[in-house]
Amino acid sequence: MMLWYKAWRESRVRFLVSAVALAIVCAGFVFFHRDVSGGISDEPLSYPMYIWRITYQGYLRELFMILAILLGLGGLARERDRRTAGFTLALPVSRWRLLATRTMVGFGQVVLLATIPAIVLPLLSPLIGQAYPSSQAWAFAILWATVGSLIFAMSLLASVLFAGEFTAPVAAILGLTAYSFLADVRPLERYLTDIHDVMSGFDMPYFEERTGVLTGPLPWATVFTLFFAAAALIVIGAWITNRQDF
Amino acid sequence: MSDARVIETHQLTKRFGQFAAVEALDLNVRAQQITGFLGRNGAGKSTTIKMLLGMTHPTSGTGTLLGRSIDDAKENREARRDIAYVGEDKQLYAYFTVEELIRFTRSFYADWRPEVAKRLLADYELPPKRKVRALSKGMRTKLALLLALSRKPELLILDEPSEGLDPVAIEELLQRLVGAASEGTTIFFSSHQIAEVERIADRVCILDHGTLVEDFSLDELRKDYRRVTLGFATNAPADEFRMPGIRRVRRADRQLSVLVRGNADAVAAQGRSMNAVSVDVVPISLREVFLESVRSESDLHP
Repeated sequence: MMLWYKAWRESRVRFLVSAVALAIVCAGFVFFHRDVSGGISDEPLSYPMYIWRITYQGYLRELFMILAILLGLGGLARERDRRTAGFTLALPVSRWRLLATRTMVGFGQVVLLATIPAIVLPLLSPLIGQAYPSSQAWAFAILWATVGSLIFAMSLLASVLFAGEFTAPVAAILGLTAYSFLADVRPLERYLTDIHDVMSGFDMPYFEERTGVLTGPLPWATVFTLFFAAAALIVIGAWITNRQDF
Repeated sequence: MSDARVIETHQLTKRFGQFAAVEALDLNVRAQQITGFLGRNGAGKSTTIKMLLGMTHPTSGTGTLLGRSIDDAKENREARRDIAYVGEDKQLYAYFTVEELIRFTRSFYADWRPEVAKRLLADYELPPKRKVRALSKGMRTKLALLLALSRKPELLILDEPSEGLDPVAIEELLQRLVGAASEGTTIFFSSHQIAEVERIADRVCILDHGTLVEDFSLDELRKDYRRVTLGFATNAPADEFRMPGIRRVRRADRQLSVLVRGNADAVAAQGRSMNAVSVDVVPISLREVFLESVRSESDLHP
């Protein structure tokens, strides 16, 4: 139980700041709808289209991805840097359990972050005389939680490999950028899922570009594949951690 | 006292690239004794302890800790339930308060003694509500010691435990270690403070360049170790002085200084037969044995 508490205490500031930042940005996009809407399109946009363009396809998505990277940082390599790894590793606990606890807490935090737009957008929209369907918001939350888990796992793997305060996040961002680039290269695009598009629905069969609304059933095969990929990265991280010297 | 071994290593080696931090170490630590682990900086003491606790994987060789293999993750984890450890860094989770860290640590061990923890908290004057990051180095060291001494483990491993403590706190620590040993806990501690080791240790292991160069009890030190100083009328003979028990020979102009274990009379007699004009046989301190064991010729004649 105390390992969960330790994992929470290590990440709670990052998580709470991230949650507040996401909520504020969401609220800002709702309350400044008229001002922002004019800035992103010359033509009048429907409210669901505006929300999609500014959040699920726009800045909020990029912010969420960065926050998922931040939540993945830490772990034993970082503890070695801070010289607390000896204390942790002397506990009668396996390295696998240490990593698993941190992973579960991190996944939980990423999922909670993904739900923030789903809570804030439908809740605040009526205050400006608009409506955003909860069903849409929660469907996007599932897609964000899926991709967020994968990004978290990439970041966690980077923090297993690199101890430095800046090295791990830079490596995670580079890895994510490289993946996104490769997913757009024509011979590879059929094999690699573009995670930006999974999050926004853009160019996906379950999304209607004209209205900015998710229409068909969610891509469960893609969701499970991405979760499986995230789990695979965690297992690789655990395998490396077990072989590291501290 | 038991003759059982709580730590045993056989040819234990750790290499970092070409550098051998620990080389073919055969270490035996007896149960219910206080064993001092001496060596210069970089001699391999901390690396040895890290290998014992499963933090670092040996390059080769084997070892057991409380009868369990050190390189088997599951067995090592089981052994760690019965071991308290204070590392050389004494860095603890900065984000916890003192009382949170105590609560965190005690949740892992069945041998936690709340009354001892409470007493140490008062003795060490540690503020329970203060964050670890706000503690001074000395207070952090005291907190690390509290977390180890509040238990009743089979084995207590301490890496430079007195570093950062004032003389009064060091004295208290030494008394607590003696007290723990008298309750049946085996203590294995590394230190640079030879006087501390000499005061409380039953046995001493000296490591140099990753190799065990001496392993003796303090009784053996007092009984068997002697310095034999031979004075000559002319320059001391350049021949190699080879006899059983000789640990080290130093030559300086007209004098030969021989560190010998258990054969001092024969060495003195040999000196006389070599026409030594003076022969002195004197007991030797731990400090002298340590310095003789780890000093190279270049240290003596820079």
